[in-house]
Amino acid sequence: MNNILKLTLVLFLICAIVAAVLGGVNELTADRIAQLQKEKTEAAYGAVLDSPEGYEDLQIKSYTQVANGQKIKIGKISKAANGKGYVVETTFSGAQGNISMVVGVNNSGKCTGISIIKHSETSGLGANAANTAEVGVNFRAQFKGQDASIALSRDGGKIDALSGATITSRSVTNATLAAILAVQDLG
Amino acid sequence: MFKKRLKEGVITNNPILVQQLGMCATMAITTSLFNGVGMGLSVLIILTCCNVVVSAIRKIIPGEIRLAIFVVVIAGFVTIVDLLLKAFLPALSESLGVFIPLIVVNCIIIGRAEAFCQKNTVGASFIDGITMGLGYTVVLVVMCLVRELLGKGCFGGGLIDLARGVTLDGTGTGIQIFPSEYGASILTLPVGGFLTLGFLFAAMQYALKKSAKKKELAAKEAAQDGKEADEQ
Amino acid sequence: MSEQLTSILTISLGAILINNFIFSQFLGCCPFLGCSSKVETASGMGLAVVFVMGLASAICYAVNLLLAKLGLEFLQTLAFILVIAALVQFVEMFLKKMVPSLYSALGIYLPLITTNCAVLGVVLLNVQNDYNFIESVVYGLTGGVGFMLAIVLFASVRERIDFSDYPECFEGFPICLITAGLLALAFMGFNGMKIF
Repeated sequence: MNNILKLTLVLFLICAIVAAVLGGVNELTADRIAQLQKEKTEAAYGAVLDSPEGYEDLQIKSYTQVANGQKIKIGKISKAANGKGYVVETTFSGAQGNISMVVGVNNSGKCTGISIIKHSETSGLGANAANTAEVGVNFRAQFKGQDASIALSRDGGKIDALSGATITSRSVTNATLAAILAVQDLG
Repeated sequence: MFKKRLKEGVITNNPILVQQLGMCATMAITTSLFNGVGMGLSVLIILTCCNVVVSAIRKIIPGEIRLAIFVVVIAGFVTIVDLLLKAFLPALSESLGVFIPLIVVNCIIIGRAEAFCQKNTVGASFIDGITMGLGYTVVLVVMCLVRELLGKGCFGGGLIDLARGVTLDGTGTGIQIFPSEYGASILTLPVGGFLTLGFLFAAMQYALKKSAKKKELAAKEAAQDGKEADEQ
Repeated sequence: MSEQLTSILTISLGAILINNFIFSQFLGCCPFLGCSSKVETASGMGLAVVFVMGLASAICYAVNLLLAKLGLEFLQTLAFILVIAALVQFVEMFLKKMVPSLYSALGIYLPLITTNCAVLGVVLLNVQNDYNFIESVVYGLTGGVGFMLAIVLFASVRERIDFSDYPECFEGFPICLITAGLLALAFMGFNGMKIF
């Protein structure tokens, strides 16, 4: 019995020390991590719909919007303070896992840009949709100016899919459509 | 001394190619040099720290619960590295994703703690951590180079772009050697991980066998020479 | 309700075929390569993994809720690995006493599971994907089924490799990896399958 007590005590002590050290490191890094996250979201907002004056939360409660048969979760919708349009946060499943993306929509219901915040698509194929290299930039640039008739070129629209990543491209297109529809629903 | 251990860690007792440890991450993340170098260095740092701590406390901890204690120590260091990467190298942390916390169950670290550190001094364990970590990193880098070159026709993707300041998120193509359309893009997919590691393993076995044979032959010849000398 | 069902079906299909833990996410490769020389041992290992992954998903979901409530998310990895290690020990003791027949079938594989990255992987992915309780458990169970499918298929191929010719330097591990690669290639065919 004594032995078991001793073992438990040693294990507990080690866990406590490790947890304390981690607490310290967390204390040091937490602010920076939160700051980076915030900057990233702000940068994404700015990239899809420029508004130096900031954004106001319009609708926080999330709901599901169906676009071309795919379910897209619509998150927070914000209004640009300069009145140029809206920014919609979306979450949907791509080819490998969930993708989080923000979509800018102007007052006439046209997409002003998209920016992918989080994804786990295949590196070199679907992941190109999010990267900062030329392929990614060109892919995302196609979405600018698209309205509710948006579709991949193989589905009769104007968006060229990324090579080898039709599923990712199609889900990104559907999410953009869902965001446009969500803004229309605002009235 | 260090040189001998380095040879052991990188070649004759390589953690991946000879000890066959820690394969998951090796195949999963070696799609760009950025990932490979980042993962390799993270493991090197964690392995060295764990080795030092484990060998320092090896006389205090009771044998029955040593594995549990090793796991706690490893998880501690992994979380520290994870938090630091998130704060100071977010691009790498995002690119490696779940494979950073999964270093906890990377057999290399617990394997070295069990096989080496609990019997050796702090200094020896420190050197062991560095050499084994380097062995791991070298394999990752070779895998990345092969997969990138044959799969996308480029060299040093992400890492070089990052150094040049073209992209900041660790993606990108680095130096394009031939147009990516001619690459066997299958090598950048999961399948490529299995195949590349398989061929790397085979090459290693071939090399080790050849050098063993050479040694055997040399030994035989030496014996023969000795015999002849005796006869004369 | 139907929405819940759809999401569960999508998760299951993804975990078993499309994003198979072994062939597309590389989680659990060590036991996959180490415990697959015979179909019998492979199915034993597979069953043990299904069992532990399901349980671990359920318990770690609760642990994560607790950590989130206390604002201690940074202890996730540490807490999860301890929970898994304790769980494996506990399951082992429980089976030994209550279900000896199952214990004799799974017993030797259980301790190996603590360091199986598929188990830690699935609980971390549950958190990352924001799955609710039911989705987490389903993801854990079907992820385990995917692992089992992969390891049993692989073992049956491996039993035949012994009788075939290949270059000498490919003996042992390398030929296994090449085989696994070809299987992964076959599994890529499931890419793009979708429910609804």
